[in-house]
Amino acid sequence: MKTFVKYLATLIITSLALTSAFAQGYKVGDEATDFKLKNIDGKMVSLGDYKDAKGFIVIFTCNHCPYAVAYEDRIIALDKKYKALGYPVIAINPNDPEVQPQDSFNLMKERAKSKGFTFPYLIDEGQKIYPQYGAQRTPHVYILKKEGKKNIVKYIGAIDNNYKNANDADQKYVENALDTLLKGQDPEVKSTVAIGCTIKTK
Amino acid sequence: MYFNKIFPALGLLVYLFAGTGCSFGSKSDKIEEISIVNFEQLEPKFSKTDDVLYVVNFWATWCAPCVKELPDFMAVNSEFSNSDDFRMILVSLDDSDNLEGPVKKFIEDKNLKGVELYLLDDIKRMNEWIPAIDSSWSGSIPATLFIRNGKSLKFVPGAIEKNELRKIILELKI
Repeated sequence: MKTFVKYLATLIITSLALTSAFAQGYKVGDEATDFKLKNIDGKMVSLGDYKDAKGFIVIFTCNHCPYAVAYEDRIIALDKKYKALGYPVIAINPNDPEVQPQDSFNLMKERAKSKGFTFPYLIDEGQKIYPQYGAQRTPHVYILKKEGKKNIVKYIGAIDNNYKNANDADQKYVENALDTLLKGQDPEVKSTVAIGCTIKTK
Repeated sequence: MYFNKIFPALGLLVYLFAGTGCSFGSKSDKIEEISIVNFEQLEPKFSKTDDVLYVVNFWATWCAPCVKELPDFMAVNSEFSNSDDFRMILVSLDDSDNLEGPVKKFIEDKNLKGVELYLLDDIKRMNEWIPAIDSSWSGSIPATLFIRNGKSLKFVPGAIEKNELRKIILELKI
């Protein structure tokens, strides 16, 4: 009985530690993992493909969530402005289409086409990437900066402080962070609460 | 010929009766008032130094687990609402555009009485008030804060079942 209790205790503690490690995800300053995820054009995309990029605006987003939809135009605008400056948007759908059929690969293609997405829109098949980043919402932004061979997390959180009204957002967290990074400095506001729908998983 | 005079007179009579209709109903027909507040206006409601245990529940009509636990919260509230040192506050995070329609209808349908009701409309400062409620809060709802004399005693993200809620309140009561 004693050994059983010990065994059970070890099992519980280990699984708790593991889940909390995963639940944490990245902190600002961590190195972000690269990945090989399928784009809406069927091709596989990795951060390593972008030899000339200075960094990346990784955004976990999806088709169905009203918050994500509210930000679509702003995400396109971010890509158009910052891609030319070395920071392209890389959008990743973290949701399981079996749980949320509106976030299927085919519907991703449709959405990207109808909105005219200017960036890769990748599917996190098997949902192995978003837990490593620690994304909890759609949309959830991770700004990465290349330092040597590594992609270092420099900002985590929301795009700005008004999901409802783009014209009334007076704190543009992602733009401010990028402008500061482009000047060679670290963002003043390094993380904010991500506002959006929970990520759909079994 | 007299219709020109009778109709307005009738109309006036109907209006007068309809206008006083509310007072014919019993007190329990009246829905609890809900007001829109920003965080600056909301925080003092549960941060008073009055030795009262405030149970502040964050919810929304579009949040299924929130809606599911509300009857339990109402049931537990009625067990404690006679105490001077207990108060329950429900804070809706619904869109303020929906106050007059879906939110008020919901309050009426679900008979949310005997609790203080607010709708928190402070989108631009979510990055400030979410961590102010609790530094560990991701902003997801439902979430419940247990606070007395401005000091947070317990914060529970996620749903709370009836017996668990009662247990927490009993443990925290002076």
